Amino acid sequence: MTPHPPANPVDERAAIGQSGAGPQRVVVEVLVCGSPDRADDGAPSVAARMIGDHLSGDARVRIVGQLDIDDLLAVPAGAAVVIVDAATGLRPGQVVDLPLTGLIGGQGRVRPRSSHALAFAEVLGLAELIRGRPVWGRIVAIGAVEFGLGAGLSRPVAAAMPALIQAIRGAIEQVAGMVPIEERF
Amino acid sequence: MHDTDTLAESSGDLSVDIAGLTRVEGEGSLRLQVRNGVVEQAHLEIFEAPRYFERLVVGRTPDEVIDIVARICGICPVAYQMTAVHAFEHGLGIEIDPAVRALRRLLYCGEWIESHALHVYLLHLPDFLGYPSALEMAHDRRAAVEAGLALKRTGNRIVELIGGRAIHPVSVRVGGFSRSFRRTEIAALRQPLTAALEVALQTVDLVAGLDTPQFERDGRLVALRHPSEYPMNEGRIVSSDGLDLAATDWRSEFSEQQVAWSNALQARGRDGRPYLLGPAARITLAGDRLHPMAAAALARTGLAAEIAVNPYRSIVARAVELVDATAEALDLIEAYEPPHEPAARWRPGPCSAAWATEAPRGLIFHAYELDDQGLVARAQIVPPTSQNQAAIEADLAAFAPRVLDLPQREATLRIEQLIRSYDPCISCATHFLDLTVENVG
Repeated sequence: MTPHPPANPVDERAAIGQSGAGPQRVVVEVLVCGSPDRADDGAPSVAARMIGDHLSGDARVRIVGQLDIDDLLAVPAGAAVVIVDAATGLRPGQVVDLPLTGLIGGQGRVRPRSSHALAFAEVLGLAELIRGRPVWGRIVAIGAVEFGLGAGLSRPVAAAMPALIQAIRGAIEQVAGMVPIEERF
Repeated sequence: MHDTDTLAESSGDLSVDIAGLTRVEGEGSLRLQVRNGVVEQAHLEIFEAPRYFERLVVGRTPDEVIDIVARICGICPVAYQMTAVHAFEHGLGIEIDPAVRALRRLLYCGEWIESHALHVYLLHLPDFLGYPSALEMAHDRRAAVEAGLALKRTGNRIVELIGGRAIHPVSVRVGGFSRSFRRTEIAALRQPLTAALEVALQTVDLVAGLDTPQFERDGRLVALRHPSEYPMNEGRIVSSDGLDLAATDWRSEFSEQQVAWSNALQARGRDGRPYLLGPAARITLAGDRLHPMAAAALARTGLAAEIAVNPYRSIVARAVELVDATAEALDLIEAYEPPHEPAARWRPGPCSAAWATEAPRGLIFHAYELDDQGLVARAQIVPPTSQNQAAIEADLAAFAPRVLDLPQREATLRIEQLIRSYDPCISCATHFLDLTVENVG
């Protein structure tokens, strides 16, 4: 069923950026990057499994492996994203939660690994250009150290899994209310 | 040293580091050693770890190996799967259904389309048009970027259908595939491929008109050559200086060596000479086997001779191969008949298995020894980038003196552009590279 447009968009805009529940929340796609059989690169997949049954009703997990422009183009209008990836440029096991725009701007030191041939900022920027609208959301990254095939999580990354899960949940709550009203319908 | 200083203005010895970042399929950096304006050494430092895979497959069945080697690369997993599956089938004497052979060639076409479209439009074209990235280019040339993405999507769609998923496909099995494909499934690819062929033809025209730096290399080219097809799954190993040997016999002419600055073994001819693989080598050594539409497109460019010697023209070779792969994929779809069985029956057993195929980046060679239980006892996996590494270093050493008088920033861009011409797996990293100049004198 197509939702009715808001009766008073001005009033509804006041909710942008708030993390409250209720009708103003939007669908949140959790894009899980990385390869589960490549040591710390699999941390997002491990977190997704652990968190999977306990997501709020407006969040859904999508395993993307390598983050592609098409993965972002597939995010429906009006939805927000939380991208979860292993990254270099962080201390091993360090968990950061950044707005997506933060990686284009001043957070260049953090390099999510799963956009592969293109830099993360390029993937995001190209997706936004083609969509013709911003991708609303955040990225939760964990500092990784081991990427060898067949290896398990490194000790610092394994120890940081609770923090990663907490950060994902926090990011979902945060982005659920951040999509502007005009983007939602 | 500042960005506006030239390398030649610096006194004494210089170590020019183009430092890379960590990437699973391609970690690398470039180190140029310059002494008094003369390039003494060019080291392409690659941190890939294919050796681990050679150990990981020991004790595994052939079918397990096919799934494992697909994990070596996120861009060209099909190349690893195809090389392994052909090696096992040849070693075990397994005859495959011609329809399976056609499906595998279609799968490989998908990977070529996806990989070449990514490289031509998103990695290499911005260099020629003066943009620092595809994103910057997209602001002015959105249509070009969207065309490239559409091509890439078409390649991914083929791999996803036949391989089971777009990245690290899972359907390839010794003797065939894990399932059959109906005509209607395959026919669904016709429409996107028809559109892709049109874009591919336009791509040739676009890149043939690019202003290209003048640089000629005089090195050995190596590729597969097939009696009747453009080389992909099969063929004999040939070279620009007359080599001609069976795909199983790579080791009789080439060998791998350890070098101190790279985790990847470097392959050279047994006489120590480097050699270059990839689209330019294929066009040069097997251009007469191109699909007629691709051959016509190449002829229109008038660049066949230059492709053989100027690495920057590899973008034209790649575009011609985009036409070849899309046109052939369409032909394969039109002629498709489902195989009688998804896979031929076979029995595990001992054998020596070896094969070479043509990955988007060039010839890839695998060799396996299977023990009495049919499990892998020994493996050798030689990817294209480790074979190209020595030739790239030689070319960089020859090219670098031309940029020593340029401002550092421009010199770095020129060098990066040349590196990207070879489409090494480290192209992942080259878009992120920062040039640092360390005075070591």
